[in-house]
Amino acid sequence: MTKRNYATVNPCVMCQPMGSALAFKGIENTMVLYHGSQGCSTYMRLHLAHHFREPVDIASSSLSEKGAVYGGRENLKKGLRNVINRYSPKVIGIATTCLAETIGDDVPAIIREFKEEEGIGDDLEKDIIIVPVSTPSYGESHVSGYIKALDAVVRKFAESPESPEGPEKPKIPEDIEIMDYMENMEIIEYTEILEKEKAEENSQEAKNPDMKEILNRKLNLIPVESISPADVRELKEILAETAGDYIILPDISETFDAPLREELPKIAPGGTRLSEIADMPNSRATLGLGVVSTNLALKYLEESHCVPGHSVPIPIGLLNTDRFFTELIGIIGCPIPEKYQKERGRLLDAMVDMHKYLYGVKAAVYGDPDTVFSLTTFMLELGMNPVLVATGSKSRDFGKRIKQIFEEIRPELQPVILDGIDFDSLNDAVSECSPEILIGNSNGRYIAKARDIPLVRVGLPIHDRIGAQRILTVGYRGALELLDRITNTILEATDTFTVPVQVEPAAYAGQGEKDECIEGAQ
Amino acid sequence: MIEKTGIVDTLEERQPYITRKQEKGQIIPLACDNNSLAGAISQRACVYSGARVVLNPVTDAVHLVHGPIGCAGYTWDIRGAKSSGIETNRSSFSTDMKEIDIIFGGEKKLSNAIDELVGIYCPPVIFVYSTCIVGIIGDDLDSVCKIASKKHNIPVLPVKSEGFKGNKSDGYKAACDALKQLIKRPEKDKAAEKKPGVNPGLKKPRINILGDFNVAGDVWLVKPLFEQMGIEVIVSMTGDSTAKSISRAAEADLNLVQCSGSMTYLAKWMQQEYGIPYLTVSFFGIEDISIALRKTAEYFGSEEMKKTAGEMLETETNRIMPEISRVRERVKGKKAAIYMGGPAKALTLIKGFAELGMEVVIIGTQTGKKEDYEQISYSVRDGTVIVDDANPLELAELLVKQKTDLMVAGVKERFIAYKLGVAFCDFNHDRVVEFEGFDGFVNFAKEVDASINSPVWKAVRQRILKPEAVKSERSAGKENIKNIFGEPCAKECKDMAVDPEFLRQNEDTAVESQV
Ligand code: SF4
Ligand code: SF4
Repeated sequence: MTKRNYATVNPCVMCQPMGSALAFKGIENTMVLYHGSQGCSTYMRLHLAHHFREPVDIASSSLSEKGAVYGGRENLKKGLRNVINRYSPKVIGIATTCLAETIGDDVPAIIREFKEEEGIGDDLEKDIIIVPVSTPSYGESHVSGYIKALDAVVRKFAESPESPEGPEKPKIPEDIEIMDYMENMEIIEYTEILEKEKAEENSQEAKNPDMKEILNRKLNLIPVESISPADVRELKEILAETAGDYIILPDISETFDAPLREELPKIAPGGTRLSEIADMPNSRATLGLGVVSTNLALKYLEESHCVPGHSVPIPIGLLNTDRFFTELIGIIGCPIPEKYQKERGRLLDAMVDMHKYLYGVKAAVYGDPDTVFSLTTFMLELGMNPVLVATGSKSRDFGKRIKQIFEEIRPELQPVILDGIDFDSLNDAVSECSPEILIGNSNGRYIAKARDIPLVRVGLPIHDRIGAQRILTVGYRGALELLDRITNTILEATDTFTVPVQVEPAAYAGQGEKDECIEGAQ
Repeated sequence: MIEKTGIVDTLEERQPYITRKQEKGQIIPLACDNNSLAGAISQRACVYSGARVVLNPVTDAVHLVHGPIGCAGYTWDIRGAKSSGIETNRSSFSTDMKEIDIIFGGEKKLSNAIDELVGIYCPPVIFVYSTCIVGIIGDDLDSVCKIASKKHNIPVLPVKSEGFKGNKSDGYKAACDALKQLIKRPEKDKAAEKKPGVNPGLKKPRINILGDFNVAGDVWLVKPLFEQMGIEVIVSMTGDSTAKSISRAAEADLNLVQCSGSMTYLAKWMQQEYGIPYLTVSFFGIEDISIALRKTAEYFGSEEMKKTAGEMLETETNRIMPEISRVRERVKGKKAAIYMGGPAKALTLIKGFAELGMEVVIIGTQTGKKEDYEQISYSVRDGTVIVDDANPLELAELLVKQKTDLMVAGVKERFIAYKLGVAFCDFNHDRVVEFEGFDGFVNFAKEVDASINSPVWKAVRQRILKPEAVKSERSAGKENIKNIFGEPCAKECKDMAVDPEFLRQNEDTAVESQV
C-alpha cells in the first residue's frame, strides 16, 4: 500500500495508562484509577480481561463535561473516596489519561489536598498509599507506561520515612509528595541530595561491612510489560532455586491468573508485597529484564540507593537465558542448579532435533521492543531467518540493538528492521519480505489470514486464542515450549517431515563459548 | 428506601440505581440515564463507544478516529459484525495525535489523514470520530470535514463523540446524526404513496431494519423471513450495510426498529422527514419473531402476506420446536441474570428465557431510560432485581444473592460470572453464532444448555481438594488416596479442613443450586 504519513491504520501499540495498569496490578492489594473519562478505563479493562481472562477492575474518575472544563479535581477526589470505600485497597495507582493531561490537572496537588481532607498521612504501613503517574498517551506507548508506573512505585516506597534504615536516620525532608511527580524538574536536584545522603550512608556501611550483611541479601527482579503470569511463575521458581531471597516487582502471577477459589475477592490476591517493595533499596542488586527500553526503577535504585543494576535481555531462547543465568550466578555466586543444567540440556537436545525444520525459515517478528529483541535472538540461534523485525513503539535503540544481535550471530543476514509501525505498514513489509511464519501478538491474525502465513502467538494482546496467561516463553523451559510451538506450526503448515536443507555450522559456532561461559560461572 | 439498601452492599449514591420489583403493577422509581459515578467502576464505555458500535458495521466506510492512538486501538474490530462484501470497517484508522498536535491543533493532520485515506481506500464515506482531547483542544471538525467532502466529493461526516460529553446514549445520537446525512431524498417524492396497502401488487413493499448490527450474521437469518413474505429489505442499519444501501433508506415504506435505544431517534426523524412510520420489534425468540412478522404483515394490510407469514411461522416453529423443547427440559426453572448495553435486548431476552422455561432474577442495562425500566418492571416477576449502570462488585454480589444459574452479558461480565461459578452466555460482540431468527434462537438455546449443564460446574463445586470428600464420592480405599496425593497435599487438606465455613458458605452460592 502507499506510504502513509498522517493516518495510522491498525495500531500496533496500546496507550500508556494500559502499561501502568499492567504494573500496578502486580502489587499486593492495589487498585488502579484512571483520571480521565469513563471510556478509557472501560476499554482497557475489556482489553485486559480479554487477554488474561480474568475480571479486571479499573476505576475511572469519570470526567464529564463539567469536569473537563473546570478541572477534574472534584471527580478525582470522589473517585478516590469511592474506590477506598468499596475496595479498601492499600495502594491506589492513579494514571492520567489524555484528557486529564490535556486539561492540565495537577494530580499530585489534588492528591495532597485529598489526603489532607481525609486525614490520610504518610505512614506507609498504616495509611493508604496513593501513587500518581503521568501517562498521556499522545506521548509514548504502554511500554513506557509500565516503566513509569514501576518507577513511581519504587520511588514512593524507597523515599518513605519509614524505610527500614531505622528511625534514628535523619528523616527525609517533609514533602515526599514532591516525588509524586516524576517529571518535576526539582526531582533531579532532590535526587542528587538523596544520592549524596545515600553515598554517605554507604561509606559508613563500607566501614562496617557486617551492617550490609544484616540489611538484606535479596535480589530485585523487575520484569517487562509483555510477560505472562506463567513467565513470572517460572522466573520466581528460578530465583527461589538460586537466589533464595528475592523481590519481584510487579508480580502478576496470581493477580492476572487467579485460581478459582470459593470467593471472588474484590482485589485479586497476590502481587508484590508492600514491605518487599520498601525493602528493594536494601537489596544486593537489581536484575532488570529488557535492554531496549530503559528501566527507570532499576536506574533509580542504582543511582539513589546504590543497588547495582543489571539489565539483561528477557530470557527467551538459549543465549538470553544463558545470559540471565550468568548474570544471576555472577551476583549470587552459587552454581547453577542441576535442574537447570538438565533443562538446558533438554533444550539443546530439542534444538538439535529440530534444526533442519527451522534452518533458513523466513520469519517476521513483531510486538513490544524487548520481546521482539529476545525472540529475534532465539530465532537467529535456531538458524531461522528473521527477515522482518518490527515493533509498534517508537524506539531509538531498537534498530541499533537488533542490528547488533544480527552482527553477533548471523552477520550475513539482511533483515528489514522497523519501529513505530502500525499493522498496515507491517502488512506492506510482510508482502515485501514474504516470511513463512509470523511471530507476535494476535493482532497479526489479519495478515496471517489474508496471506495464509501461520502465526505463532506470543506477547500481548492475545484475544483470539485461549491461554495467553499460561504461555511460557522465559527460561530454558519457556524456550523449549516456544521451540515446540514454532516447529509444530511450521510442520503443520508445510505438512511434511522432509525439509531438505543443509545445516550451517555458523549458527552454532558461538555455542562452545557460551558453554564455557556458564561453566566458568560455576 | 430501607428496602433498597438491603438489596446489595454498595455506595450510598448507587443505591437509587438498584431496586427490586415488589408487587404487580407497582411502578418502581429507579434512577437512571445519568453520568457514571466517579470511582464506581461502571461497565459503560463512552460517547465514542456508543457512536462507534452503531456505525462500525457500515462495511465500506473508513472509520477514522481523530485522537490519540488508544481510543482507536481498543476498538479495532471489537464488534463481530459480519459483512457480505467489503470489510474496510474492520480496520482501525487513527490520526494518532501526538503532543505537537495537542499544542498546535490537530486539524491539519486530520485533513491530511483524510486525503491520504481517500487516496488509498477510495471509500464512499468517511466517518470522523472526535475523541475527548479533540473536544478540549477545540479542533473544528465540522469545517475540516466539510472541506474534505467538497474536495473528494464523498461524504466526510463528523461524528461528535467526545467521550466526556455524556454517555453511551449520546454516542448513539451522534451516530444517528451522521447516518441522517447519508440518507438521500428519493428521486420522486414518494411520501404520497406511503400509505399502508397502497398498490401492494404493483410494487414490492419495502422496509428498513434499524438497529440490527449483523453480529455473527444475525441479519442474514432475518432478511429471508421478510423476503419470503414478499417484502424487500432495503437496508439493515447498520449491520452489513454500505454507504449506498443506507443512502436509499428513505425509499422504504416502513422502518422496523430493533435496537430501540440507539435507533428510535433516527426512526423518528425519518418519520418526520420522509413520512416513514416505524414499528418497534425484535427478532429474538419465537414469540417476538412472530409478533414482528405479524405486525409487519398487518401494517401492509395484505391478506396474502398475512397468510404467508402465518404459514411460515408455523413451519419454522414446528421445525425448531423439538430442539427447543429438548433444551427446555434441561434448563427449565434455572435462574438467569441479564446485563445488557441497551434495554431492547434486555426486554426481548426476558421473553426468550420464558420460552426456555427459565426465570429472570436480575436485569440491568447500561443505557436504559425511565420508560425502559418501567417496561422492564412490568415484564419481570416479583423479586427480580433491576439495576442501572451496575458495577462489578454489585453484579458479583447480586449473582450470588439471587442464586443465579446463568448470566447473559458481555466480555467484562463474563469473568465475574465464571469466577463465581455461574454459567454464561455472551450476547454482545464476542459471540460467534447468530442468535436472531429461528435458527438463531436454537443457537441461543443450545448455548444456554451447554453452559448451564456443563459438568465443569460440578467440578467447580469443590474448589479445594478434600480427600475425604473424594473418597466418599468414589468410595475408594484409603490406600489409594494416599498414593495419589502424597504427603504435602494431605497436609494442605488438613489445614483446609479446619475451615468448615467454606462448605456452609458455598451452600449459598449459585454453584450449589446446580446440584
Ligand atoms: S479518550 Fe474519550 S473518546 Fe477516547 S476512549 Fe477515552 S473516553 Fe472514549
Ligand atoms: S484517550 Fe488516551 S488514555 Fe484514553 S484510550 Fe485514548 S489514548 Fe488511551
